Amino acid sequence: MTWRAGLLLAASAATLPAWPAPFLGVAVLTAAVLLLVALDWTLAAPLHGITATRAGDRAVRLGGTATVTLHLANASARTLRAQVRDAWVPSAGARPDVPTGRVLTVGPGGTAALPVRLTPARRGDRPAVALTVRSLGPLRLAFRQRAGHPATPPWTLRVLPRFDSRRHLPEKLARLRIIDGVQVTRGRGHGTEFDTLREYVVGDDVRSIDWRASARRSDVLVRTWRPERDRRLVCVLDTGRTSAVRLGDEPRLDTAIDAALLLTALAARAGDRVDLLAADTAVRARVTGSGRPALLARLVDAVAPLQPALVETDFELIAGEVLRRERQRSLVVLFTALEAGALGEGLLPVLPRLAARHRVVLAATHDPVLAGLTTAPPTGPDDAYAAAAAWRALAERDRVRAALSRHGVTVVDAPADRLAPAVADTYLRLKSLGQL
Amino acid sequence: MTATLDPVRPAAPPAPRRRWHRMLVPPGLAVLLIVTTLVLHAVDQPDPTDRGFLSPVATGDDGGSRLAEALREQGVPIRRETDVREALRAAGPGPVTLFVPAPELVHPHTLAALTVLPGGSRLVLVEPSRRVLTGLALPLEPTDRRWATRAVPPDADGPSCRLPEALRAGTAAVDHQRYAGPSPADRCYAGALHRISWGAEVVVIGASDPFRNDRIDEWGNRSLATGLLGANRPLVWLDLPGPEPAPTGPSLSPTPDGDGTPLPRRSGERADDRADPPPNWHNPLWDAFPPWFWAVLAQLAVAGLLLVLWRARRLGPPVPEPLPVTVQSAETVLGRARLYRRAGARDTAAATLRAAALDRLLPRLNLPADTPPDEVAARVAAHAGADPERVAELLHGAAPEDDRELLELARELDALTRTLAPHPTEGDPR
Repeated sequence: MTWRAGLLLAASAATLPAWPAPFLGVAVLTAAVLLLVALDWTLAAPLHGITATRAGDRAVRLGGTATVTLHLANASARTLRAQVRDAWVPSAGARPDVPTGRVLTVGPGGTAALPVRLTPARRGDRPAVALTVRSLGPLRLAFRQRAGHPATPPWTLRVLPRFDSRRHLPEKLARLRIIDGVQVTRGRGHGTEFDTLREYVVGDDVRSIDWRASARRSDVLVRTWRPERDRRLVCVLDTGRTSAVRLGDEPRLDTAIDAALLLTALAARAGDRVDLLAADTAVRARVTGSGRPALLARLVDAVAPLQPALVETDFELIAGEVLRRERQRSLVVLFTALEAGALGEGLLPVLPRLAARHRVVLAATHDPVLAGLTTAPPTGPDDAYAAAAAWRALAERDRVRAALSRHGVTVVDAPADRLAPAVADTYLRLKSLGQL
Repeated sequence: MTATLDPVRPAAPPAPRRRWHRMLVPPGLAVLLIVTTLVLHAVDQPDPTDRGFLSPVATGDDGGSRLAEALREQGVPIRRETDVREALRAAGPGPVTLFVPAPELVHPHTLAALTVLPGGSRLVLVEPSRRVLTGLALPLEPTDRRWATRAVPPDADGPSCRLPEALRAGTAAVDHQRYAGPSPADRCYAGALHRISWGAEVVVIGASDPFRNDRIDEWGNRSLATGLLGANRPLVWLDLPGPEPAPTGPSLSPTPDGDGTPLPRRSGERADDRADPPPNWHNPLWDAFPPWFWAVLAQLAVAGLLLVLWRARRLGPPVPEPLPVTVQSAETVLGRARLYRRAGARDTAAATLRAAALDRLLPRLNLPADTPPDEVAARVAAHAGADPERVAELLHGAAPEDDRELLELARELDALTRTLAPHPTEGDPR
């Protein structure tokens, strides 16, 4: 029953002084109101005649707004008067166009559309959790409501990472084109891979003249080179405990995802093949890049639901997975944290096997708080101890970096906002040096 | 090919049945525990209305055969009577002890006759209820009632006990039902035993334990029971088999003999009141308002109940948010700093700070890492324009004694490195 039933009963209490037997009046009035409630309940539209379906956006970039529309179809012969609550997880930021409490009227056989605008606050999968329909009677004294009737139509909105480092892409692509030799503002392309033979023109490097071919053609021919294409690139995202650390406003994993996306976009344009692996104690996501056009979209979709887990990353697993899947020599970019405990015990033992087959780059975001502790002038005893602890952490980091460098690993250690361009630069440099 | 493995998902929302279980099982367990306790207690407690309860011929746990035996050994003649009238008649002219183990079974109309005993007689009542006390017009009130009987010394709450039998018996299991009476009454065992001179001498005891076969040997129970019931008087043991029927004849009280003092009564009205036990109590508040007022109140209460029912049904369950794990940045570093501070590790902290400063100064001054300390100090002092001895003390001195010195050291090292070597630009890809 609704508040109207209570109000009706309370209002009818005003007639009691006129009754000859007031307590009999109480019984009669209560019975009458309950009878009305029962009647109203019977006349309410049945719930099994209602079906709910959804349509709308499946994915939205973080910060954007998606619209998902809930369609309520009333198949019963009665008019449906309903209050509808379509509950999403709070971080989905759902704002229904029709307020939750408003009574909706759907005629027999009719359909109502209830659009919901979603502005998610976090990356990942944001599901619709529960749909509740309260079917009111014509007098609105009583309602029918049952959990699971109608069944909640499942819908998951995938919130994609924001990909802020997109703004670096044009600049990096321009540099890639210079390396490629497509853009001739600065000169020919560099590279180590043989491209074609062409006639010598004045200004060509005499060292690139192919004498054998010149002898055959009675013309001076030069070899042209181009950067390697169809190289392989593996982005490995560490989703273990170190990736849960919040740097500034977002976890380290989000920074890593951002950098990995920029790298993927760049490599895909350069004609390289990109694979992605996300793992902690188990493999969380895996993308094998074959179809180039949709690679970035697929990758974004795959990394969107990744969440950091409070477990120690199993580098043994990661190394095994990479070695098993990548037979050719590839560039393995490992997005993790430069932390002595995690890397020293996990990565260093398996690094020789990995570095023997592949070129390894370790991309780590460092903590701005740590830098702040070491650079700020101390004001109290706590600061002095904190500075000592921070210096010690930095020294440990340097030791790990030195150990990694001994194995031929390139370490990219950058603040959160500069990690993505720094990794892209490293990639471009390696590519221009032909070290892929 | 794309394969995405879902991250750890929170468990699916529990089925409605599980929710019912969750709502029902803990209260159910509590109710079961309470019911079990109550049933066990009820089984354990003797019931005065049972046949054979404190009967001189019953040998069960509830019986009083061992007490009767003990009394006979002391030479106390026992007369077992199963009827109040017979008992009163049997009392005869001389002083007797009338033992009533189950005063509840005595009919209200015959209760008053119990106190009309020959002079020097004693009436012993076991756990009389308020009704019995009122019926006897005794100035006693039942107060606290314990869950189980406790053994207490006679002077548990002050030296007011003047009953020689109780003092002789010492600690006894008496404290079950306590009574409050006027001050002249002898009060023993924290109020569980009262002696009042009310015509005859009336002894009210708050527990049946001292008389029962199963507990008579504990503490001073036997001594107390035989003391209360013995004392050179013949004992009339009122062993009622069940609730007594109403008296038929008008002449109830036995003809009191010459020395039988009649019972002092408080007032005549009280005797009349006793005639109808449940008094028809009427609240004057009813008449203060017209009946429709109460009806309106009742109807408003029902309306409120309807509103409560309306609010009790929510529009769908609350939705939980699967929260991501978060780790504060530099958590371990700050934790280590706090550990340093708590342990007072000033030497370690100072050594770390000095090593860090040297690490930054040496490359700046183009010195190899194995430069002797005094040369380092001299070069640093020359560059910074400071006193070499001070710099040497700063870079290679003793560990600081307290936190203030450590802070001083940290400040000076910071100032020195700031002038000579600007802070390293962090994060250059190497």
